[in-house]
Amino acid sequence: MKKKTTSRKGERQSRDGRPKEIKYFDYNLLFIIIFLICFGLVMLYSTSSYTAASKFGDAAFYLKKQVMAMMIGFVFMFMLASIPYTFWKQFAVLAYAASVALCGAVIVAGRNYNGSQRWLQIGPISFQPSEFAKIAMIVFLAAFIERIPKQIAKFSAIIKVLAIIAPVLIIIAISNLSTAIIVAGIAVCMMFVASPKYSHFVALALLGIGAVAVFIMIESYRLDRIKAWLHPETAGDDGFQTLQGLYAIGSGGLFGKGLGQSIQKMGFVPEAQNDMIFTIICEELGLFGGICVILLFLLMIWRMMIIANNAKDLFGALLVVGIMSHIALQVILNIAVVTNTIPNTGVTLPFISYGGTSIMFLMAEMGLALSVSKGIRLQNIEG
Amino acid sequence: MERNKTGIRRKILVFFVMVILMIGILIGRLVYLMIFCSDYYTQKAVDLHQRERDIKAARGRILDVNGQVLASNTSVCTISVIHNQIQDPEGVIAMLVKELDIPEEKIRKRVEKVTSIERIKSNVDKETGDRILAYGMSGVKVDEDYKRVYPYGSLASKVLGFTGGDNQGIIGLEVKYDDVLQGTNGKILTVTDARGIEVDKEGEVRKEPVSGYDLYISMDYNIQAFCEQEAEKAFIQKQADSVSIIVMNPQNGELLAMADYPEFDLNQPFALTKDAGSIQGTDSEMEQLNNMWRNHCVSDTYEPGSTFKVITAAAALECGAVKLEDQFSCPGFIMVEDRKIRCAKTTGHGAETFVQGIENSCNPVFITVGLRIGSERFYKYFDQFGLFSKTNIDLPGEAATIMHSLDHIGQVELATISFGQSFQITPIQLVTTVSSLINGGNRVTPHFGVRTADESGNTVETFSYETKKEICSEQTSETMRYLLEKVVSEGGGKNCKIEGYEIGGKTATSQTLPRSEHKYIASFLGFAPADNPQVLVLVIIRNPQGVYYGGTICAPVAKTVFENILPYLDIEKQSVESSETDEQSR
Repeated sequence: MKKKTTSRKGERQSRDGRPKEIKYFDYNLLFIIIFLICFGLVMLYSTSSYTAASKFGDAAFYLKKQVMAMMIGFVFMFMLASIPYTFWKQFAVLAYAASVALCGAVIVAGRNYNGSQRWLQIGPISFQPSEFAKIAMIVFLAAFIERIPKQIAKFSAIIKVLAIIAPVLIIIAISNLSTAIIVAGIAVCMMFVASPKYSHFVALALLGIGAVAVFIMIESYRLDRIKAWLHPETAGDDGFQTLQGLYAIGSGGLFGKGLGQSIQKMGFVPEAQNDMIFTIICEELGLFGGICVILLFLLMIWRMMIIANNAKDLFGALLVVGIMSHIALQVILNIAVVTNTIPNTGVTLPFISYGGTSIMFLMAEMGLALSVSKGIRLQNIEG
Repeated sequence: MERNKTGIRRKILVFFVMVILMIGILIGRLVYLMIFCSDYYTQKAVDLHQRERDIKAARGRILDVNGQVLASNTSVCTISVIHNQIQDPEGVIAMLVKELDIPEEKIRKRVEKVTSIERIKSNVDKETGDRILAYGMSGVKVDEDYKRVYPYGSLASKVLGFTGGDNQGIIGLEVKYDDVLQGTNGKILTVTDARGIEVDKEGEVRKEPVSGYDLYISMDYNIQAFCEQEAEKAFIQKQADSVSIIVMNPQNGELLAMADYPEFDLNQPFALTKDAGSIQGTDSEMEQLNNMWRNHCVSDTYEPGSTFKVITAAAALECGAVKLEDQFSCPGFIMVEDRKIRCAKTTGHGAETFVQGIENSCNPVFITVGLRIGSERFYKYFDQFGLFSKTNIDLPGEAATIMHSLDHIGQVELATISFGQSFQITPIQLVTTVSSLINGGNRVTPHFGVRTADESGNTVETFSYETKKEICSEQTSETMRYLLEKVVSEGGGKNCKIEGYEIGGKTATSQTLPRSEHKYIASFLGFAPADNPQVLVLVIIRNPQGVYYGGTICAPVAKTVFENILPYLDIEKQSVESSETDEQSR
């Protein structure tokens, strides 16, 4: 069916008299984005309304802020979709510098909320520079790797790239370790795609596992997190959030309690509208709803794979690979955390979790991906 | 470039496949959690979300032998506020101040306190509760509840006892029969959010409460009320510390009355009466309350004095240490080892038989008899008569007998024991033991509880009590009845003589420790009819002012009680001949 839509569009474009320059636009991706965002808003309202009503006296408190951010995000998305993505190549170094500057600023002058200093206040707007850093690093890495397509086959080049982004990673890691891990993950994914080798990445994975092990050993509180992961029921406070999430997921059953019927959202799952929103989706919509959401993300990633495969240049392909690995990493990590498959680390579920900065930059990334899709020549489409 | 591109495409595909794999694992995990662990986590979540609220069960009533209600319940309300649900705090405060008559600052503090639920006042009468409910203010909760009421206030306060805030008995029968009276509380299961606030839409599961059973007791309201009235009279007349009157059926141990004046108001058990307060001016309030609640008939021991001669006589007759016609001589005292023990009549009773000895309550006679029995045999009979064990009355807090151990009983101790001194027993122990000795030798268990019944009056359980047979021979028992009848008709108990009735009895006057204070406990124990005892009465006046002889001040009280309750209990007057004998003996 998708093929049909695109080909019909292709025919109409061809009647405009330019049969060789058939313009493509990935409406499938756009529809998936819109659907996911709308679904996200419904679930955000369902999840947050009870606590919002008792905390702020306004059931739609979180929803309103999210809708505002989403509208700005749409503007971003359409702007970026209409600007040829190659335009951004020239800002690669600037993006790198801006990431360092903003993430540095957050350490110095960040606003504290919920115990972590991750927000930067500019006038009435507060935003998370680390979210900006994700898209900035995708652009930077895409531009950088495009310039060394042959060298990337060497292990030294991979180390070199990692060394170059290391300062940004460290600065992000100071305030937000999870985001730093995701940015590093994106970089590795982009290099993996660009490089013809596999062995390098197996080595890198082993190295990563070793580093994580050492990392856990030196800080005892991280060991507590591991304990909380293995035995959330006896871990006390450390296991509390995980356990509450599991109660929500487990009590969902096959088809859930029905939309809006969650009880775990009534203060049991802490900050349910953030990282833990997937647990409430499972409680209300059941296994069926949970798998549907996962498949929706998979569909989105699949669409981006098509775009990356057919991008007209390496920069565009890498850009989309960066974006899709960003989405994939966050979805996988988030669901792995809430199902207690891996130890707890704060990763949000893209498009659905509450967070203005996150949704704005996610939509900006979608704009970039759509922009890349525009550059595709129809004849070349390949799955 | 083209080759490079196919390479990238393959790598993108590999990447995508890896993503699918990982997502596959996560879906597997999700299936595991949501299908296979679903029951476990659902149960855990339900446990977490559900809050139990008790619905109190109505406590069973306590009724007397004629079905007169002595303790029942009325509906009351508990008013609480739920902080998070209050919309108009000022309105709520104003309304509660108006309806509950509590100072504003107190209510304001509770209303403004950030808790899930704050109790404002319990035991609010139902009309007030209904009025508060009618305001329909959100955040104000009215829970229905029961409150124990005692229609006769102070009647049998120490026997009935009262209950605390959680419907549990605190003293008296309310404690002893707590489990039958209490019933089973019902439950409301509600779903609450993390702060404990009920979620309306989830509805509630109710488990209805089961009311407690009614308790029927052997107490007769009329006899109890009359005894209390007589006790009060004696209390005032003799300016005593306290006056106890026990009325028991000696055949089966059923207690018809147990007055222990001063009583207290069961509807306000925590308000100190002036009598209780004045006795123990220096004690803490709790100690004063405990003193006020104390049932002297059961919880206090005393030296029984001459009433104990009944037991000495029975033991002596049982082992053949004495015969009725045995001759004694009383010079007014007796030497035991190096001690000179005086008789109550210091001039002496002169020559007398054993019958006359008991009529005169002559100490030297009983000392002689006691020494004849010997400490080991005496001890054996104490045990046989049941003096060493508790009576197992169905009231809490029964005190045990305080007695010398056998190896410490020398001649002097033996002598004093013989006339009821140097050891202590409870009044109920005395009543029970004497009852058992005069009823043919069956040790009864004194009790109030007769049966339990459900709300419609159908008997649920009839209590049975242990009777220990043959603690003494029928012969001894008959002789004791004869001897004690003589005490009333011819001897020290003559103040209890009632025309037309044969009464048996024994007086006592015991000095409390320390002897130097010259405080006395006067008592009289009587039963009627003497040949077939149906009712036994013990009157004890503690620390009477002025005349303190049991025969002078207690026997008349017992007489009044007998005069009134014998006709009431349909115990007919004796045949003409016996009344003639009465006439002669007078």
